[in-house]
Amino acid sequence: MASSGTYTKKELPQSVMRLGIILLVSGLVIGLATFALDSKRAVFNYLLSFVFLLTIGLGSLFLIALEYVSNAAWSTPFRRVAEFFSSYLPVLLFVALPLFLFLVDLFHLTHPAPDDKILTGKLPYLNIPFFIIRVIACFAIWIIYYLYAVRNSRKQDETKDQTLTRKNLVASAIFIPLFAITATIASVDWLMSLEPHWFSTIFGVYFFSGSVVASLAAITYTVVKLREKGYLHTGVVNDHYYSFGSLLFGFVNFWAYIAFSQFMLYWYANLPEETFWFINRWAGYWPVISIGLIIVHFIVPYAILLPQPAKMDPKRLKFASLWLLFAHLIDLYWLIMPQYHSDKNHPLLYILEIGFPMAIIGAAIIIFYLNFKKHNAVPVGDPKLQRGLDYRV
Amino acid sequence: MNIDYSKELPLVEGRMSIAEIEDLIAKPMDQKPDKKYYIALSITLSLLGLGAAMLALSFYYGTGLWGNNQPVGWAFPIVNFVFWVGIGHAGTLISAILFLLRQKWRTAIARFAEAMTIFAVICALVFPVIHTGRPWLAGYLMPYPNQHSLWVNFTSPLLWDVFAVSTYFTVSLVFWYVGLIPDFASLRDRTKESSKIKKFVYSLFSLGWRHSHRNWQHYEKAYMLLAGFATPLVLSVHTIVSFDFAVSIIPGWHTTIFPPYFVAGAIFSGFAMVVTVLIFVRKIFNMENLITVDHLDKMNRVILATGMMVGYAYAMEFFIAWYSGVQFEQFAFINRMFGPYAWAYWIMVSCNVIFPQLFWFRKFRRSIPVMLIVVIFVNVGMWFERFVITVTSLHRDFLPSSWGYYKPTLVDGGILLGSFGLFFTLVLLFAKTLPVISIAEVKAVAPGAQPSHHGGEH
Repeated sequence: MASSGTYTKKELPQSVMRLGIILLVSGLVIGLATFALDSKRAVFNYLLSFVFLLTIGLGSLFLIALEYVSNAAWSTPFRRVAEFFSSYLPVLLFVALPLFLFLVDLFHLTHPAPDDKILTGKLPYLNIPFFIIRVIACFAIWIIYYLYAVRNSRKQDETKDQTLTRKNLVASAIFIPLFAITATIASVDWLMSLEPHWFSTIFGVYFFSGSVVASLAAITYTVVKLREKGYLHTGVVNDHYYSFGSLLFGFVNFWAYIAFSQFMLYWYANLPEETFWFINRWAGYWPVISIGLIIVHFIVPYAILLPQPAKMDPKRLKFASLWLLFAHLIDLYWLIMPQYHSDKNHPLLYILEIGFPMAIIGAAIIIFYLNFKKHNAVPVGDPKLQRGLDYRV
Repeated sequence: MNIDYSKELPLVEGRMSIAEIEDLIAKPMDQKPDKKYYIALSITLSLLGLGAAMLALSFYYGTGLWGNNQPVGWAFPIVNFVFWVGIGHAGTLISAILFLLRQKWRTAIARFAEAMTIFAVICALVFPVIHTGRPWLAGYLMPYPNQHSLWVNFTSPLLWDVFAVSTYFTVSLVFWYVGLIPDFASLRDRTKESSKIKKFVYSLFSLGWRHSHRNWQHYEKAYMLLAGFATPLVLSVHTIVSFDFAVSIIPGWHTTIFPPYFVAGAIFSGFAMVVTVLIFVRKIFNMENLITVDHLDKMNRVILATGMMVGYAYAMEFFIAWYSGVQFEQFAFINRMFGPYAWAYWIMVSCNVIFPQLFWFRKFRRSIPVMLIVVIFVNVGMWFERFVITVTSLHRDFLPSSWGYYKPTLVDGGILLGSFGLFFTLVLLFAKTLPVISIAEVKAVAPGAQPSHHGGEH
């Protein structure tokens, strides 16, 4: 069945831009207020916001590469949304800069006790100059692939040249193994080494699973919203949502599987050098978050997304994806914040912690708006576009 | 090379008609097997006989005939068990997971891969049962209230294996059978009235299937549900197999990446075995138009991807062993690379990580001789992976005074060969008695069977 329909480029309304600016400015004000009150907490909060957007950008970049290497067509009509999300990566390099000023607050490894043999053993890897080199190298790889793939994709809008698809396929195939390495390095650098004594071989996979959930949720929400308001190709029907629904469901399960594997194996073997990380997340008020995470990030989305009709229902998908973005924030909170204070009875979810996440979401909306203004929201020259529009469950 | 990305590749080549497809798939069942078939069968049966004889010796004299001894108490039986369970995973991935992901190219290979799943799990089940030393007491593995108040150890992953593998086997068998029902009906309809037994057997197994709309509706619902059940099961099986190792505190075993790493490795080895067998099947049965080079190309991509995942796990284990600062972990990995079993480690790395890199190139992915060599290397490499994990971690543990070197005996080798004999005997019997490709599913993806944008009649 030939799917017809057209795409006409439209700009997003000004109100979107206004919303972004309001969130960014008020978030920054609250964030800076937190900084004045408790600078260390604010720095951790800033890290949380940075990693939140980083995972969305990285996950989107991975999904673009995956579309090319697997020659998938169903996602082609929506690839631009993922491309807009990965445009956060170049910006995030600058967002990371203030963190370099507070590395001493964030990372215990910057000032190990001299008799701490385990930490001094890790110094060849965990030291500030090498840390900065790794951060820049990882960002360089992501940004190079992003610029290359997206430039080809945009060029194709005019030329409809199929060799550009071929070029992106080759680049994506090279990028995916590099992505696996750089994402693992990023997860160790920004999250695992917050507690430098602790280690887990699955941590990179855990980070990856969370990133894919978050970016899929962000893409799904945006796609459904954009189509509702008529900003996408009119040939898009509910059938197209099926893959978003099933991938979201699949990756929610994948995340839970990875999280369970990590927890279960350490719990069962009960070695003190491994379990203390979980014990830290079980002290004081922390069981609320630890148990809450299982409910919010697994049980609820599992129940919402399990029935087959839910995977194609715009309303349920919108709810599930917003829910999962929130769940991802909680997941990062659970990973990052226990390292902020040794006193685990310290109040949780401090109200001012809303500041930097608000600001980063505001910034994300502004960047998305500007991208949307400048570029087509559908890759109109992509040879796989029609095949994607023809997709039916 | 120019590829038109706006079109999907045809899944059936050579412009075959629907009737031709059915005739081709049903051909082996319509004819008496030829001499070559009996030669092949006699080879596999001899291997099976050798294995059976070695097992009989082991039961008579005891498991002392094997190389297992302190400190390596887990050796060939566990290695072979994990190897065969892994082989089974490709079948479920192809038949259930690719089905849920709406991958139509699975149709031509799903049936054979599923059959291999069932045979591989049968081979796998032999090993833990004989490893108990007294297989006639295997009933005690099942927890049931008994007068001895003798209970299994519920906290042991070895027991979870019993549940996981037996459930997996049951669901795989049912899934396979449900998929076969429409084909049994087609076979029943084409069998002449004169061959009464054949007609009766096909009628019995087709459960009165009439190809009616209602039949298909129920069938599709059941098939989807079974695919949904099989998917978490297949992942859980190798996850629990990995728990056998990872819940312990043995350096080299106790690491959190084991579950996904074992699953990726299982798919890797399973696909390699499926490609190995399909290369011969498509040639012998003239099925090159149904199991096309594109199918093999796609499977080789999966092999490349999962091989890289396995390589990632090797690297991550090694890095974290250093990073952890735990001296036992560090020693375990240095010992793997440079200790007495370094030869096994480097066979594993080169077969699993280096040779599959050839599949980066389209030319090699589509060349039958190259892929045959690579997939055989992968089969060897994945067997050695389990050998490395099991044996090198055990032979030198915390206490240097109890270190040792494990050597398998001829009996160990005979039993391993016997399991290959069992597997290929079952494969040969299957290829002669049941349709090796799903007739109904392949007809549905043949050109002209579905309305499409290009050349559709709408």
